[in-house]
Amino acid sequence: MMDWWLAGLQWGQGAVEWQGSPWVIGCVAAACAVAWALAVLPSRDVKGRTSLRAVEAAAWALALIVVVIAVAEPVQVEEEGREEPGRMVVLVDGSASMGVQQAGVERASRVDEVLGYLRENHAPIDVFTFDEALRSGAPDAYDGRGTDLAAALDAIADRHLGQSLRGVVVVTDGIDLGRLRTDLAVAAEAGALQPDLAASLPGPITLIQVGEEGALDDLSVESVVSGGFAFLRTSFTLTATVRGRPGQSVPVSLGREQRLVEERTVVLGDDGRAEVAFEVTPRQAGRFAWEVSVPIADNDAVPGNNTFPVVVRVVRERTRVLQVSGSPSYDQKFLRLFLKEDPSVDLVSFFILRTREDFGSGWDPDELSLIEFPYERLFTDDLDTFDLVVLQNFNYRPYFSRGRDDLLLNIAEYVRDGGALVMTGGDRSFDLGDYARTPIAEVLPVELGVTGVKTDEAPFRPQLTKAGAVHPLTRLGATDEETQATWKRLAMMDGTNRTLGLADESAALLVHPGLTEGGQPLPVLAVREVGEGRSLALTVDASWRWSFSEAASGRGNQAYLRFWKNALRWLVADPDDRRVVVAPSRENVLLGDSVRLVVNVRDAGYGPVEGARVTGTVIAPSGQAHPVELVTDSAGEAATAFEPSERGAHRVKVSTGPRAADRGETVFAVSNRNPELARIEPDAPFLRNLAAVYGDRGRYIGPSDAVDPLVDDSAARTVPERRELRVSTAPVLGLLFGLLVSIAWFVRRRSGAI
Amino acid sequence: MPLDALVRPWTRRRMLQALAASGLSVPHLAHALGAASQLDVAELKVDGVSLHRPEAWQRLLFEVIQTTSVEANPAVSTVPPHDPSLFSHPFTVFIGADAISGLDAVAIEQLRRFVSYGGFLLFDDASGARDSAFGRSVRELCRELFPTRPLAPLPGDHSIYRAFFLLDRPVGRVVVSEVLEGVTLGPVTPVVYCPNDLSGALHRGPDGRNRFPVTPGGEWQRREALKLGVNLVMYSLTSNYKHDQAHVAELMQEGKLE
Repeated sequence: MMDWWLAGLQWGQGAVEWQGSPWVIGCVAAACAVAWALAVLPSRDVKGRTSLRAVEAAAWALALIVVVIAVAEPVQVEEEGREEPGRMVVLVDGSASMGVQQAGVERASRVDEVLGYLRENHAPIDVFTFDEALRSGAPDAYDGRGTDLAAALDAIADRHLGQSLRGVVVVTDGIDLGRLRTDLAVAAEAGALQPDLAASLPGPITLIQVGEEGALDDLSVESVVSGGFAFLRTSFTLTATVRGRPGQSVPVSLGREQRLVEERTVVLGDDGRAEVAFEVTPRQAGRFAWEVSVPIADNDAVPGNNTFPVVVRVVRERTRVLQVSGSPSYDQKFLRLFLKEDPSVDLVSFFILRTREDFGSGWDPDELSLIEFPYERLFTDDLDTFDLVVLQNFNYRPYFSRGRDDLLLNIAEYVRDGGALVMTGGDRSFDLGDYARTPIAEVLPVELGVTGVKTDEAPFRPQLTKAGAVHPLTRLGATDEETQATWKRLAMMDGTNRTLGLADESAALLVHPGLTEGGQPLPVLAVREVGEGRSLALTVDASWRWSFSEAASGRGNQAYLRFWKNALRWLVADPDDRRVVVAPSRENVLLGDSVRLVVNVRDAGYGPVEGARVTGTVIAPSGQAHPVELVTDSAGEAATAFEPSERGAHRVKVSTGPRAADRGETVFAVSNRNPELARIEPDAPFLRNLAAVYGDRGRYIGPSDAVDPLVDDSAARTVPERRELRVSTAPVLGLLFGLLVSIAWFVRRRSGAI
Repeated sequence: MPLDALVRPWTRRRMLQALAASGLSVPHLAHALGAASQLDVAELKVDGVSLHRPEAWQRLLFEVIQTTSVEANPAVSTVPPHDPSLFSHPFTVFIGADAISGLDAVAIEQLRRFVSYGGFLLFDDASGARDSAFGRSVRELCRELFPTRPLAPLPGDHSIYRAFFLLDRPVGRVVVSEVLEGVTLGPVTPVVYCPNDLSGALHRGPDGRNRFPVTPGGEWQRREALKLGVNLVMYSLTSNYKHDQAHVAELMQEGKLE
């Protein structure tokens, strides 16, 4: 508003800004108008000279205007640009490779020398630190986990857009982990080092290398390539690249969670590198940590890169099943057809087509199409190659006459070590097969040792137990009700092998409706978790009827297929398919990083368990156990963060109860490997190439050369300046006010108004 | 000693062991958990068309019991094709000499389900003639059962020819064809047509004498027919087991297969 009254009045250069509050100014102006009126209007009929009274009124008016102007706080503002010499920007590499010790001296020690020289000779300088990012100031510590020089140069170019710098000085060892190093190497090889390969800078660039090439004594495992996952029982290759002095002979060891697996010695090539390939055949599914390491010498520049841990997830490609049948039967036929048609199953069948009793039938052996039953090989060397062994009415006695105990013990140990075993009923099974008091009996879910009648041949329909109603193995319907209805509908069995009931830590899923043992219904389908493995006993030999009887009624064979699919899945349960599963957020973590451990708890029906108390430990390589205590949420999930303080494989074990099914475990690898320290040899060619990209505006200075940066003395920059003169505080206003009031008072007296 | 290892070279010791074993052995009587685990034979009964030769199958089952480890029940029953009890007899035969007629939709649907879900159906042509009316009607029936899977000659390396015995060709009472024919569903052949009257070669009267002469090979041919019968039984239980890699490699190594 005042601008309108004063029409943008300017006093000399610059502009006038009124900084007083318009309300205050308005009020003061009104008060001044009233005061003026009181001063000018006579209080009585006084006759005076009119001309003098006009002068008095004008003087009062001017004095009050001065007051209003003072209250309006006029400020004279003058803005202009000031030319100054261009600045020099210094980029200091703050990555961990700069902290490497060379001959007892930190590589970055030259940084202080360079900065001191530049401050003394080329001030003013602006210092920045770069590693993965750019930040102002010199490095506090050399611990960056990356070096991206291209990004730093781009940031400098953006920051000084439209200006010119006297120079850009980069102090680095040249170990760039961004794209620039690779791009320049490729371009240099093609002879095409073009300016567009790097950022366009507002000044000449000087690249000062710190760290002498070849002055390091660093033996390291540069990389280990594993692919991240492998297939069970299928060999895969862990390829390690070892780096050190050319021609050096290096023992390279492969370990798995503190245990030495293999050691190989390699001679490093002319480039100081050699590859070592370790063939590994995993025997278990799950996550496992392998570690490739080389010895640490006293003068090793970076001991942290002498070990490379890696976690490999071992998965099951196909389920290998060994089906051994003592007599061709419908039960064996239907199970074989199911297994054979499942593309996820690799089936090996052996059926005993002829027994000792059949020898007298008079046929010439050349007429027969029979092969030798390779039982010794199957139950020794080959046993571990199977996920599941199915013994269907198999009489072991004639075949295991040699090494009988050994072979049966092999099967039992195979189960305890994580294998799965199924025994189905028949006149060669359970006690009829004389399995009592054998190692096999110790891993079955039913107790053997029946004396007297060992079978019951009365037809019956198995009944689902309480455990069977919720167990995933016997779940034949989408709902509990459908499952119950299906089992009540399925065909009757024609008899059962008798047993002495359930073995310890076993569960009966189907029982006989009439027969009992020890006061409990006789188990017909029972399961057990033995050590790391699982076993199943089905005491009937007519499960094929669950297929055929359903087909007869037009329902297809889904019930039968689902039963055996469920059984297969449960028997060969992978670690990630157990009831208690723990998994790390990352399988390979760096020391100092936090890893999230997630535990999932499921019940027998594989539904989430809310409120489950999970206890466990994270076992560090030193053996130190860090306790874990969690409670699951409504999704059956609980999580915690763990920050490892040791390098190496950490195994996590959790449990919700005492049984094997209540336990879960996993592993993750911790390394103090910094990508910056994988290759720590200074890269002079890279710095030379980069200098070459900038032509005569680029200079490379070696580690032994004097610091002599390229400087553009013509570089200048405009510094904007703003000057404010606060008029209201000037003494002249007070003086003017006093003068005008004095004049008004003097004239008033002369005019005779007083 | 592995007991199905008869393919190894015979030695005096092995011969003595075998003789000792045969002397001590009796035909293996089935005493499993019940009828469900035992093999039996059912003859399809179609009025006016099907023939019935239970003695032939009893003879075959006895041979199966005596020669193999299969537990069999030498009882033979007859089942109408629409009867649900068909599913209690996964090995079923249909003997005929004339054209098949009188099968309604219910019977055909049940037969389709029977062979689709694991049953084995043998058509035995008792006519002893090439291109018989029975044979033509079997083809027609198979086309109706499986329109996209017609009856076709089985290759010489089919598992039926090596399920227990090594067979060069399928023979019966006659030899009107050098091949068996079948309907193959995936890896298995659940429907087989034998044009050479297999049951005729095995058929015996109440007095135990053979009912029909076998031509042209005489008793040698009857013996071969018996071997074919055993193989069919064994195939119905083991399907393509003899095509598993372990068996093929071993048999080839021993010179029994080329």
